[in-house]
Amino acid sequence: MKKIFLAITGLALWTVPAVAAIKVMTTTTDLKYLVERVGGDKVSVESISSGDQDLHFVEPKPSMVVKLRRADMLVRIGLDQDMWADSLVAAARNGKIVYGAPGYVDTSVGIKVLQVPTKKVDASMGDIHIFGNPHYWLDPDNSATMAGTIKNGLCRLDPSNAGFYAANLEKYRAELALKVKEWKEKMASVKGMKIVTYHNSWLYFAQAFGLEIVENVEPKPGIPPSPGHINSVIKTIKEKGAKYIIAETYYPLKGPRMIAEKTGAGLLTVPSSIGGLPEVKTYFEVFDCLVGKLSQ
Amino acid sequence: MKRFMILLLFTALTPCAIAQETEGFTTKIIETAPPPQGMRGTPLNLPDISVIGVFNGYISDDKTDESRNKLEFDEVETAFQGYIYPKMKADVFLAIHKHYDGYEAEICEAKMSFLEVLPGLSAQAGKIHVDFGRLNKSHSHHRPMVDQPSVITNFFGDHGLVGQGLALSYLIPLPFYAEIQGGAWTVPEHHHDVGEGNTAEILDITGSTVTVPIIVESDEFSVADKVYTGRLLTSFAFGPKTEMMVGLNALKGKGSHYTHHQDNVKITGVDLALKHWPSAYKRWTFQNEWFHLARKVPAGNLNRDGGYSLVNYRWSKYWDAGVRFDYSENAMPVISYERVYSAMLTRRLTETTHARVQYRHKNLYGEKANEGWVQMSFGIGPHSHDLE
Repeated sequence: MKKIFLAITGLALWTVPAVAAIKVMTTTTDLKYLVERVGGDKVSVESISSGDQDLHFVEPKPSMVVKLRRADMLVRIGLDQDMWADSLVAAARNGKIVYGAPGYVDTSVGIKVLQVPTKKVDASMGDIHIFGNPHYWLDPDNSATMAGTIKNGLCRLDPSNAGFYAANLEKYRAELALKVKEWKEKMASVKGMKIVTYHNSWLYFAQAFGLEIVENVEPKPGIPPSPGHINSVIKTIKEKGAKYIIAETYYPLKGPRMIAEKTGAGLLTVPSSIGGLPEVKTYFEVFDCLVGKLSQ
Repeated sequence: MKRFMILLLFTALTPCAIAQETEGFTTKIIETAPPPQGMRGTPLNLPDISVIGVFNGYISDDKTDESRNKLEFDEVETAFQGYIYPKMKADVFLAIHKHYDGYEAEICEAKMSFLEVLPGLSAQAGKIHVDFGRLNKSHSHHRPMVDQPSVITNFFGDHGLVGQGLALSYLIPLPFYAEIQGGAWTVPEHHHDVGEGNTAEILDITGSTVTVPIIVESDEFSVADKVYTGRLLTSFAFGPKTEMMVGLNALKGKGSHYTHHQDNVKITGVDLALKHWPSAYKRWTFQNEWFHLARKVPAGNLNRDGGYSLVNYRWSKYWDAGVRFDYSENAMPVISYERVYSAMLTRRLTETTHARVQYRHKNLYGEKANEGWVQMSFGIGPHSHDLE
């Protein structure tokens, strides 16, 4: 009897957290970082995806449901980039994080979204996101807005610490402003540089740092390149003088390598999120890595 | 002056074309060509509407198989999905399926989902693919194969276990995933061509003679009438890249020809799936299900077993391949077994569009057949299913 009692007590202690921090689940590692910056020690945060995963291709797992079941807040990219989170939220049966609940935070709110379709889109155009290009976190300035949206969410759940979250937000924004200035100074020498990207995911980054994307390796978003399209990309690079081909670490590199060999353009495999490379551990390090490689 | 008057009169008589605009319409220069049908705008308040089409080519060296050597639509499914209230969803799947001698329209599923009745507790009501084992819940176009494992056909029928009723599901607050479900369903009996007078005198287990209805051989056994199901599904993560799901299943019901056969049915089962993701797109799946059928008829008990084992490997975003072995006994009084060896290769274009080829060697109690499929499945519009 004593053993049963101890086992039940142990199980209960295992399931009940020792510290009453706000439990936040994020769909990406970058969002985890931002929540940690704004929430400080008042939050415990976990990301559903890892930085080396293609966000279009995250497979929902039961273990993710368990984590969402216990969450007070869900922070997501939105714009259909992390649509897989919908089935997880439905399976978690947690009213605190459903759409419209105080614990539901979509960081696309307030973002100036690029490439918003103005007419009907369908699969003939590839994997077009109907709410616009969702890769907005790759403009570092957007993270100031994203962090602000996260702060609002935390204040809804924990108004007594609103001042704490607001102070952390300001501190983050100040640090970000310095880093953006540093990155832009480094990138000034390559402003106007032409690049080719594997997927249509670098538009925000290119706009932030004055790069020109002349072509994508994918003929249309999500569609693998055919030999004909690879030839077309080679021709474009030669004509326009693109210097680099940029591909996220998870994309197949056979096509980009062939293009690089035939054109002399540099192939950069880069992280688009924290964890995209093992050494990239913060949101700032994502841009340190990108800027470092491009400004060489 | 006369010319001027004629021009004025002409102008006055052609108001729509030149001078006036009808209320609610405006004049504008066309900047882009109007889209053709199928590329028009969509109002914001429509539910998610989608169509899935499954087109199969089937060949077989079994010359008695009338469906062989044909290319035809196997299924067209239309889905309407949307929220009807906060935390309440409705999903309606209407399908036209190919049956032996033609096409039949039916409600494939029509269900209301109450996403959070109480903390951790959800409910579904309507006509539902019952969550029983790993594959039964999924629609055919969501499975990594063209056919379905023999045990599902032999124990639950061609469409698997589909009932009308209510299911409750509770996510047990444990450190690992543990969900317990219970459902109460009505499943229609099959029509039967055996008259009431078809009986036989047999000896029961005590040696006495009893009169029982004749059980006619049929390949259409399934469970029916009032059916009760229960399932416990657990999942254990071994690090971020490996997950194992274990399910236990139990069912109590009657046979689909109960009026004639007076058979009470119990099915128990276990399923196990192990998934491993070595990298962003690669995935190994090892999936197994085993069911035991106990069919109690007036003459005694029939005990049958069946299951399958599937290994599937996805090596890129677009390609996966698998092999499957089935063993299944039939549910009939005269026991026979079926052994099936399958291999399948899938090229995915999008989440709902794929091309697939499958080879199957079937050994039905000594009668062997080699079969092959070519399948094209396409999807139009936003289409989703519950977490599987």
